[in-house]
Amino acid sequence: MTSCWQRQLAKAITKIENMDPQALAEAASLPLDNSSVQIIGVTGPPGGGKSTLCSQLIEALASKHKVAALLVDPSSPFSGGAILGDRIRMQALVSNPNVYIRSLSNRGNAGGVGSSVVSILRAVMSAGFDYIIIETVGAGQSEVKIASIADTTLVVSVPNLGDDIQAVKSGILEIADILVINKADLPGVDSLYIALRESAQKHVDGWTVPLCQTVALEGLGIDALLVEIDNHWQWLQQAGRLLEKRKLAAKFEIMELSRVLLQKHLDKVPADVLARNLNRKDINLLQRLDEVYSELLNLFGEV
Amino acid sequence: MAPIRVLMAKPGLDGHDRGAKVVSRALRDAGMEVIYTGLRQSPEQIVQAAIQEDVDIIGLSCLSGAHNSLFPKVVELLKARGAGEIAVFGGGVIPEADIPGLRAAGIEAVFTPGTSLEEIVTFIRERVSGQ
Ligand SMILES: Nc1nc2c(ncn2[C@@H]2O[C@H](COP(=O)(O)OP(=O)(O)O)[C@@H](O)[C@H]2O)c(=O)[nH]1
Ligand SMILES: [Mg+2]
Repeated sequence: MTSCWQRQLAKAITKIENMDPQALAEAASLPLDNSSVQIIGVTGPPGGGKSTLCSQLIEALASKHKVAALLVDPSSPFSGGAILGDRIRMQALVSNPNVYIRSLSNRGNAGGVGSSVVSILRAVMSAGFDYIIIETVGAGQSEVKIASIADTTLVVSVPNLGDDIQAVKSGILEIADILVINKADLPGVDSLYIALRESAQKHVDGWTVPLCQTVALEGLGIDALLVEIDNHWQWLQQAGRLLEKRKLAAKFEIMELSRVLLQKHLDKVPADVLARNLNRKDINLLQRLDEVYSELLNLFGEV
Repeated sequence: MAPIRVLMAKPGLDGHDRGAKVVSRALRDAGMEVIYTGLRQSPEQIVQAAIQEDVDIIGLSCLSGAHNSLFPKVVELLKARGAGEIAVFGGGVIPEADIPGLRAAGIEAVFTPGTSLEEIVTFIRERVSGQ
């Protein structure tokens, strides 16, 4: 029964997301070097059709493979809550037994994904998928983190989103393994194509970034895009690049876990130290702070 | 603290989701993570999504009058799939007379158009933290 393992995986993801120490430790013991799973990242501007495109990719891949999708939307800076709406574009996939879809909040993190995303990837990977698709928040310029996490990064652009040159200038194109012009049914697609073609001809150690056109809403161009996704996968393996990519992901994971653990200390230690020392009768903190300072050094250590 | 996860769904064939969107925003503003699944979901799709998303509670909104069959079906399927601890509440244009039947079928609260958003937020918080 699909609901049973999906339920276990879903619960594990929740615990990891909430930084439950035991769940993080369990996730950390799972391998990230599984070379039968391709991690595909999809980034691009909000409303660019990322979810619609992911839905098409998932549907096509799921006819023969097991596919997991992690869909990240932003949290509210005011309440920390979030409305996660990417599933709206994927209704038809819900009952497909080859598909697992999970919506995630970025939990206030810049860069398009949450801190725990790589730990989540370990858990998803060990659940036996062939493809894992990650849709990022879509805030634009700051979304470069996905390139350290995914094996194959798709950068989606759309015609007439203001200035075509904007996309070129923003730096987001540089992280693309594959460039996608979605909404190719809209006017302005030709000038965007010309603007992007230069970036697309960039060679990276034998990989030439292809430029694909899609109309995700109608499923057009998806097959050609899937061919490029597979080409990139073949190249990663032949060029011995895959494990390098996964090391980048592990590096991201270490940085993020450090940040979260440090933040926990920052939330707690100064408050404790203050509570212990602020109203001491035996020393006047205005005259000397050296005792408290060495206490801080003991707690935080010298770096 | 772990945010409460809520699945908001609209079973049935009516095409209005303004109410569900207003509630979703209020829940977000109360710090919850709301998975919004859109219009015209079957009970099967709702339950499968709730399991994949590991939500604490499901909010069903229905204006088409089919609540008496659709809402209980969701509760039934949750139980059948071993996810009976996911709570279910409902809302929409629902006649007073139908509410006792829905409650008896496991819909833990039914909010009609006069309900304040605060009331819904409070219900969810108390229901989920009381688990
Ligand atoms: N014209 C056109 N609209 C599209 C296409 N793909 C997606 N859309 C629409 O663009 C809007 C945003 O799509 P969505 O997938 O939610 O974008 P996201 O915010 O990047 O995930 C929706 O109304 C889609 O129906 C396309 O190829 N052509
Ligand atoms: Mg989206």
